[in-house]
Amino acid sequence: MTRTSAEAPAPVSPAPLTAARVPALAAGATLLGSGGGGEVATGALLLSRELAGAPVPLVPAAAQAPDTLVVHAGLVGAPDVLAERLADPDDFAHAVRTAAEVAGVRAGAVGVIEIGGLNAVVAAVAAARLGLPLVDGDLMGRAFPRIDQTVTAVAGVDPAPLVLVGPGGNTVVVRECARRLAERLLRANVLALGGAAALAVHPLPAARLAAIGVRGSVSACLGLGDRLLAAREAGGTPEDLADALEAELLAAGRVEEIVPRQDLTPGWATVTDGRTGAVVRVDLLDEYLAVTVDGVTQAAVPQIIAAVDPRGHRPLRADQLRTGGHLILLRLPPLHTWPSEADPLVGPPAFGLDLTPPPPTGPVPGGGTFSWRGGS
Amino acid sequence: MLRLGIDVGGTNTDAVLIDGDRVLGAVKASTTADVTGGIVTAIGDLRQATGFDPAAVHAVMIGTTHFINALVEGERLAQTAAIRFGLPATRALPPLVDWPDRLVTAIGGHSHLCHGGHEYDGSPIADFDEAEFRAVLDRAVTAGATSFALSSVFSPVNAEFENRAAEIIAEQLPGAPVSLSHEIGRMGLLGRENATVVNAALRGLADQVATGLLRTVAEAGINAPVFLSQNDGTLMDVDYARRYPVATFASGPTNSMRGAAFLSRLPSCAVVDIGGTTSDVGILQQGFPREASTDVNVAGVQTNFRMPDVLSIGIGGGSHVVHQASGTAVGPASVGYRLAQEALVFGGTRLTATDIAVAGGRAEVGDASLVAHLDKSVVDAALRVVDDRLAEVVDRMRASAEPVPVVAVGGGSILVPEDLAGASRVVRPDHFAVANAIGAAIAQVGGEVDRVYSVVPQQRDTVLDEARQEAVDRAVAAGARPGSVEIVDIEEVPLAYLPGNATRIRVKAVGELSLGGSRA
Repeated sequence: MTRTSAEAPAPVSPAPLTAARVPALAAGATLLGSGGGGEVATGALLLSRELAGAPVPLVPAAAQAPDTLVVHAGLVGAPDVLAERLADPDDFAHAVRTAAEVAGVRAGAVGVIEIGGLNAVVAAVAAARLGLPLVDGDLMGRAFPRIDQTVTAVAGVDPAPLVLVGPGGNTVVVRECARRLAERLLRANVLALGGAAALAVHPLPAARLAAIGVRGSVSACLGLGDRLLAAREAGGTPEDLADALEAELLAAGRVEEIVPRQDLTPGWATVTDGRTGAVVRVDLLDEYLAVTVDGVTQAAVPQIIAAVDPRGHRPLRADQLRTGGHLILLRLPPLHTWPSEADPLVGPPAFGLDLTPPPPTGPVPGGGTFSWRGGS
Repeated sequence: MLRLGIDVGGTNTDAVLIDGDRVLGAVKASTTADVTGGIVTAIGDLRQATGFDPAAVHAVMIGTTHFINALVEGERLAQTAAIRFGLPATRALPPLVDWPDRLVTAIGGHSHLCHGGHEYDGSPIADFDEAEFRAVLDRAVTAGATSFALSSVFSPVNAEFENRAAEIIAEQLPGAPVSLSHEIGRMGLLGRENATVVNAALRGLADQVATGLLRTVAEAGINAPVFLSQNDGTLMDVDYARRYPVATFASGPTNSMRGAAFLSRLPSCAVVDIGGTTSDVGILQQGFPREASTDVNVAGVQTNFRMPDVLSIGIGGGSHVVHQASGTAVGPASVGYRLAQEALVFGGTRLTATDIAVAGGRAEVGDASLVAHLDKSVVDAALRVVDDRLAEVVDRMRASAEPVPVVAVGGGSILVPEDLAGASRVVRPDHFAVANAIGAAIAQVGGEVDRVYSVVPQQRDTVLDEARQEAVDRAVAAGARPGSVEIVDIEEVPLAYLPGNATRIRVKAVGELSLGGSRA
């Protein structure tokens, strides 16, 4: 379950997002992408340019007036399309405005769909272009490939109105749609728009979002990014990196073999742990799905699995793994806890994996629900 | 077959003469600002040393850092128009968007956008607007642009816009240099476009240098084809280099590593190349450098070249050694090329890493009596710093848990201990100081395909065969002997989050240089 408001401290707004914070946001978002979520660099470049004008206020949903409309913004589609066709801040702004129009209320803030990968950065681009605050939270607590893999879906909230905007202002508006149809509608329309499009979805009153959304994600992402950047400077061992990120070190070794995915059937990479000699299997689609060490699964979706290049401490996406390459495999602390009934939606079965799930993430310092503290 | 290998570095120009796998001679001369002066001296010295007959040379291979240095210095660059086809997409990040201001100014800052480009499936984003392009071209020319970089969205899938625009430029401005992104870079618009603009900015210089090299070689009495080294350790014809100077950028470290492999006869090893100021460590796999997995930033410009994966630390033969109560430090400050004046063993006053190596008995350089007074504890502490840092960087680079053979090259390689942690053994080949020139001399000819294909499952083999054949054809077109070409690398990556079968396929082929004619 996501934390209830009774556990949460009184909402205090973190520092506004400035251009100087973009590298930390991008670094944290890449880790939280769990090997997917797309190439963050292009979004980071856009965001740096947007924030050169004015910083974006970062606000907890609970600190907003209860009926403030929060529209969630992001980019859907293929990273390779983004890398070629780039993205236009105006398209995100147009998508958010259109979704608010259909909802019949002015948008008061922009929300992050997923804090993993490119979309952590893109929501901030939309907020900057619209001159709106960004809600310090998200709907996934990491990156997922499908639009229905959200805490809102678990809470039974439909995603519409849903708006897609492609280059040149081509706009698709979905006024109503069942949760189970959302992904199919997105895919068909995104494809027609050339494989990538700006998305506005889940317009929600701030009070509702405060109750069901993942909290503090943007701050957590910034904090994680700060720690990664500091660890990169320090250039330590895999153990040092895991300590710095408060993560579990799963393995550190060399990629021996990569078996590519077949459409929706996961592929895997075999890694030999150079320290222990253990044989490690990493199941993957567009993200890392599970890590199994000597036959025992040590991490699996929805837990966040990160692969990091031991040389430069750069996170590696699933499509960047190469045979002979070295990596450090980490299980990051979760930003929130999914209820067990969400397993068919975000657990191993949702990705076609049949495995004995790993133990839940161990107790974290301070006990109780893990809580991130943002900032450096 | 007699090959002359020349490496034009920032400080020295080295030349080697190789017959088969024998090194017949090696010399060092000082690099001159015009590049050719140093080459003339080096060839002359080599003739004196070996008495070779210039007419008997079969091929001349030259590695040069000249082009990358020109970019780093922001000098001798052409006024370049960067013209992209992509509107209505890509407007938010126009060409040159992520370039350092200094370089934008150096190339004249001509950034233009036109309608067009393609989607991932090859359908146009917008129609080619000839009037719009001609107007952009006029504006660019009026503003002083003399070299043209054309990029188009998804041009690795469909190059139509770049090709049509190139035809128009050829018709309007016959002979004007045009660089096309689909011929230069890989998928990823900004990185590919940046590489193309850099290439365009170097075209004028490339023309001068190529002409100078050909003349210099001819004046030395050598009547043989001239090649330049590329990033991946393969060769390009000097006339090809006039059009693609950017492909020479990483040839320095590549040549050094391949030269080390040749000299040590170890196709897979770690190479430690120690100069005056830095140590560069790279990994060779089957004779070719391991490539970096992330994009490479050159002089502040993000490109998506494949570059060798090299880790550098600030320890070299000229590194200052400072001993204090708090500990002993070696580098990163260095006397650099003034080693022969400033080091203690040469009668200077500055304690350097070379002095420590001599005092510690690792090398006989200069006058050892001048460092005999050094406190043994200081010498030991400094050597320990050097050993630990070298071992650490080798450890971070090696691809497996097992110790790897380490090949030490470069003038500063006297610093490397016999017994280095993580190394199965340390090899110091002969001629280690001219490994770069040797790497240039032994280079092969390559061809590469990197493109997005639509792969229907039943036709996967057909598509792969097609890509293989094209890579082989490209290698042959670049000068490889047809029978000798082998595929050395195949990579197949499905495009993420896209249905259907769009797959990026990259194939690299390499073959022996074909020298045809009576002397082959």
